Amino acid sequence: MKSLNSIKFAVIAILLGLIGFAFAPAADKIVVKGSDTMVILAQKWAEVYMKSNSSVAIQVTGGGSGTGVSALINGATDICNSSRKMKNTEKEKLKARYNTLGVEIACAKDGITVYLNPSNKVRELTIKQLSEIYKGNIKNWKEVGGPDADIKLYGRENSSGTYVFFQENVVKGDYAPSCQTLPGTAAVVNAVAKDPNGIGYGGAAYATGIEICKVKKDDKSAGSIPTAETIKTGEYPITRYLYMYLRNKPTGAMKSYIDWILSPEGQKLVVEMGYFPVK
Amino acid sequence: MKRISLIALMFVSALFFKANAQEATVNEKLSEVNDKVTGITERLATDEADLQKLTKIKISGYIQAQYNKTYSLASAPMNNYFSLRRARVKFTYEATDGVKFVLQPDFSPQAITLKDAYTVLNDRWTKSFSLWMGKFNRPNYEVEYSSSQREVLERSSVIRAIYPGERAIGAKLEFNPQSLPLHVQLAIYNGADALQIKKVDGSFLYDGKNTFVSAADENKDFDNGKDIMLRATYNVRLGNFGGLDFGAHTYFGSLKSMSTSTLSSDYKTATAANVGDAIKRNWVGGEFQLFADILGGLSVKGEYIAGKNATIGFKPVAAAGTAAAIAGLPNFQNNFAGYYLYFIKNLGKKNQFALRYDYYDPNTDVKGKDLTAAASIAGYANADKTYAKKITTSDLATTTIGLALHHYFDDNLRITLEYDIVQNEKAGAANVLTGNYTKLDGTSTGGKDSAGNALPAGLDYSKLINNNLLTLRIQAKF
Repeated sequence: MKSLNSIKFAVIAILLGLIGFAFAPAADKIVVKGSDTMVILAQKWAEVYMKSNSSVAIQVTGGGSGTGVSALINGATDICNSSRKMKNTEKEKLKARYNTLGVEIACAKDGITVYLNPSNKVRELTIKQLSEIYKGNIKNWKEVGGPDADIKLYGRENSSGTYVFFQENVVKGDYAPSCQTLPGTAAVVNAVAKDPNGIGYGGAAYATGIEICKVKKDDKSAGSIPTAETIKTGEYPITRYLYMYLRNKPTGAMKSYIDWILSPEGQKLVVEMGYFPVK
Repeated sequence: MKRISLIALMFVSALFFKANAQEATVNEKLSEVNDKVTGITERLATDEADLQKLTKIKISGYIQAQYNKTYSLASAPMNNYFSLRRARVKFTYEATDGVKFVLQPDFSPQAITLKDAYTVLNDRWTKSFSLWMGKFNRPNYEVEYSSSQREVLERSSVIRAIYPGERAIGAKLEFNPQSLPLHVQLAIYNGADALQIKKVDGSFLYDGKNTFVSAADENKDFDNGKDIMLRATYNVRLGNFGGLDFGAHTYFGSLKSMSTSTLSSDYKTATAANVGDAIKRNWVGGEFQLFADILGGLSVKGEYIAGKNATIGFKPVAAAGTAAAIAGLPNFQNNFAGYYLYFIKNLGKKNQFALRYDYYDPNTDVKGKDLTAAASIAGYANADKTYAKKITTSDLATTTIGLALHHYFDDNLRITLEYDIVQNEKAGAANVLTGNYTKLDGTSTGGKDSAGNALPAGLDYSKLINNNLLTLRIQAKF
């Protein structure tokens, strides 16, 4: 008798779990959080989309890709913008908390741009030189054909996807301790614009008031700057996808919004804002 | 006119000298401010360098406070209580890229114990290997899954039985290739961690807390043999549906015999053993975790483990002088099997439901019907009665159904209500254990059975014993 009751209890509990609470209520408010590189694009998407879809409220904030992923894992955001791929450790946390592997949507492309002060005579650098500069092994501009002046390094905080991507694909080691970390790409651009000996990196869309440094894959190849053409052909060596991450497959208002972002209309805004379309 | 010109010249000169003097003052001030700014910049750089060192230290931890109501007769008359299950702080120091130190003490009202203390060295070239050394979790899915995340509050019975305390002292090599979703762990341990090994006088040689009770050489091995564990898992992405992780683990270990006999799992065969022989403990397990992006996200997880475990006995001591003889106890190798199956379902963003079916049979060669009264135990008939070891209720299988409902207030706070339905395998009741002789406190009612024999004290395992448990837990982590 007792075992029968136990089984009944278990069955009822499962049914409650499956049927009673199967679906989260559809929300007309979409919270977007994450990459600072993507924040101006995400804000533009939200602004334009809400004009033609007044019933949907979209709230966009930055904070960095790492912050966005954490918010996705703890349920504080619906969409996480990330300028890097989710790490395995982050996927494990998402699995543990929400029992899903997450949904990855590539929504734009970006060329990580190397910023120099316009007064700097240096115009191009190889990936190897950039690595040595950011590791702190090359300390003076004269070592790369510039003036006899100490190099001032500017970069992003470690919660930034750009920080991680640049470290993994360019620096390939630890950043020099002298690298000054700044909150947001705009701050990096601003610092380099004011510092004749400064060098920084960040999204292509922010590159105003500075000189864009040509980047060479190696000594023998030609330098290039990030343009739609050089990114499409793969000539520019530091390109990446920009992603949106969701906990589950999108439904309702969220699905409509994401479909719109990937539509020609949404991708047109990508170009307008200085990024590059996915296709 | 000349005088006026002279005065004008003097006036202009005075103004000029005053301007020069002011300029000199401004320059001095500027230089002073410049020096101050340089000084502040240098101090900031020093402070930033110090702060950088601090960012290498990560502190996390959690507290689990709970209220339990137990329905077990064994725990009567006390059947409800508050307790502090965990109070832990974890310190992680990432010295440089690829080097990590971890220290995790556990605080309880009585003592502070060390749970984790290990170093991890990651290979910086292929970024695929890492070497661990110290005290850390054994490689197993449920063992490595933190209790702060676990969907059912306690680990499964089989895991608690074969991996007591979860951690062990040793070394581990992990292989996580960059290009494959493969994860391989090869570990070597002392192997006696958290086991209780008794001496002939009944006192502990090894007390289950990684210490030799009578010796000063704490945290060292019980024997020269080392235990080896191997675990491999692979992740498969199942398109939009979700993903499947699957794998297996195995354990090759032994304990040093202190007895001169080893009893088989069915209590029928006793084989001679030498003191110092390696008594094998080997098992193998298979696991899977299925994650499905349907109905808001759900997962099904399971693991099956079977093999041979062992406990160590001691040899008999002959009477000497006034000291009486002490009967020996054989080593015992028990074939065991156990499994668990989870069903976990998200209920919106803030709630989660979990069900776990958990089965553990500590001795697959003995059935409940074999356990009758002390006098009627059949089977073990070794001529040397000093080696007598009887089938007990610890040989019976247990099934536990755990039902848990979690509410996440935020990332830091979780409240859980769980009900565990615990069911025992029924003992054979023939002839002796027929009456319901159990009182609330587990003592005899004083009644007699049909043959007129006094009924013994204890819980009646010929029936289902109510060991159900209700738990309300609040967990705060940071």
